[in-house]
Amino acid sequence: MKAGEASRMAQDATLVVETTRLTKIYQNRNIAINDVTLAIEPGHVLGLLGPNGAGKTTLLRLILGLHRPTAGQVKVFGQRMTPNAAELRRRIGYIPTNPQFPRGMTPIAYLDYMARLFGLPRDIRKPRLASLIRAVDLLNASGEPIERFSHGMTARLAVAASLINEPDLLIWDEPTHNLDIEARRSMLELIKSLAAEKTLILSSHNLNDVDEVCNHTAVLHHGQLIFHGSLSELKGRIRKNHYELDLEGDQKTITKAVQIIKNMNEFSKVQLKQRRLELLLAPDVSNCTALANVFVTLADNKVHLVSIRSVGQQTEQAYLDLVETEESRGFTRLYTTNEAA
Amino acid sequence: MDAVTIPIRLRYKRWLPYLAVLQTDLRQTTRSWVYRLWVLTMFLVGFGYLLYRLGVHREAGLVQEANIVMSDLLRWLVLGSAAVIAAITVGSISSERGTLADSVLSRGISRYQYFLAKWHARAIAVVGTFLVLGAVMLVASHFLLHENLSISGSLAALLQVSALFFFVASAGVTLSAISNDSRVAMTLLWLALYGGGALLELLPNQYPTPDRILRQLQATLRGEFDPSLLFDLLGYSVVASAAVSLIGLLGFARRDV
Repeated sequence: MKAGEASRMAQDATLVVETTRLTKIYQNRNIAINDVTLAIEPGHVLGLLGPNGAGKTTLLRLILGLHRPTAGQVKVFGQRMTPNAAELRRRIGYIPTNPQFPRGMTPIAYLDYMARLFGLPRDIRKPRLASLIRAVDLLNASGEPIERFSHGMTARLAVAASLINEPDLLIWDEPTHNLDIEARRSMLELIKSLAAEKTLILSSHNLNDVDEVCNHTAVLHHGQLIFHGSLSELKGRIRKNHYELDLEGDQKTITKAVQIIKNMNEFSKVQLKQRRLELLLAPDVSNCTALANVFVTLADNKVHLVSIRSVGQQTEQAYLDLVETEESRGFTRLYTTNEAA
Repeated sequence: MDAVTIPIRLRYKRWLPYLAVLQTDLRQTTRSWVYRLWVLTMFLVGFGYLLYRLGVHREAGLVQEANIVMSDLLRWLVLGSAAVIAAITVGSISSERGTLADSVLSRGISRYQYFLAKWHARAIAVVGTFLVLGAVMLVASHFLLHENLSISGSLAALLQVSALFFFVASAGVTLSAISNDSRVAMTLLWLALYGGGALLELLPNQYPTPDRILRQLQATLRGEFDPSLLFDLLGYSVVASAAVSLIGLLGFARRDV
């Protein structure tokens, strides 16, 4: 066996989730997932992003073996996931969007049911159940039927159910959906603490949540994976050429300094709004050189620099830019195809 | 020397997920309004009819032979119950499709175990309920009517009807597993049951078709029955139910939920 092949096999074995050319076409001929190849390593907290109908939930259900792929395959912990791979699912904790519960059950009965679904014997499941019900703060409501619970309480119960088997991989589909500010905050804190020891896949519409807790992202658009990498990579992909500077000093000197900067060739846009200077670098210009020139100009004119930040480094902006680019590519493709026809 | 930590390998109980779904489904089924309505209706119809016959005997002095009354009662119960059993069983899997099934099937349970648990739970609920209610009615007839029933005949009659109900329950769960819509599944099951029952009448006389079984109940209840035919019927029922369920099992194992 070649050394490269051996190292690739060793790397494959360590992957928590690996999808290879995964495709899912529903019976109504809707292509939900299109040729998605994705690898998730241990310790990753992956934020799965995408607009409504992008295929996020379908991808999660394929990973769980709830759906069968039309083409390609899913491997979890190095083994192929199928609808009957119960052993693999024993290592996964899942929360669906808007989790539903059997009618008439109390949280204790529900968690006991979930634990038995994992095949956990009584001596293991009872202590776990007791500690989890305390951990999610449902001890006082443990005798009440679940249908009387608020969104926050059902979300906490779903979290407890997903942790009852002490999984290595957590798949949570929109865990902060429908939660109030306080419940959302505690959910995010929980995710952060779990991220220290588990691999997580979180699907979310809330980009601030992803920004706060995830270290990797995957962006789906019309079933296609248009980005997969670290969060900093996603942020770094775009608008590295856009800066904002907060200035302090006499307004006349600031205006004078800005006028000098406007005459520089390095910038395609220089705009002063009160004391905030917005700079857009021209293409193929080194940002270090251009910014150094700006700093020198400001210093020469006795203008103080209060702060400088790179605009567009928020996940939301990066994501929107990515989706926008993909949309325009789609239009271009459509236009080109029509032209050719 | 450093202490060596030996990882404890957790021992899972292989059939615990099956038992969990079986118990939960039995509990859910017996709490459903369709099931409760069915039991209440069977009870009221059964005892209402027996009391009516008792009244006829008391007022007009006409002898009411238990085998005739009970065979009529059982026949009506079978014809009426088949439709209700279809409703009870076709929702077993298809009505849970979506997030409720997700929260079960995403755990450590295989599709096979889930299907088997659902099948067995619904079959136990239907057949068990009928056996209990049927036995109570037969005991009541002993006190209310002119007694001419034999114990073996009564047992044979209950087993025969149970065999029919077992098949109906199996077909219902199978359709539930391979269909996305409970209403479509129920319509298909009703068509198959009543249409299939009519078609079976075309078989030669030696085969125990449902209608022939029901017509022979009078004699069966008196103890006039052929044990080998009873065993044949039970065998056919088990084989047919297993075959139908196998289709459901294989279909469900390959389906998206």
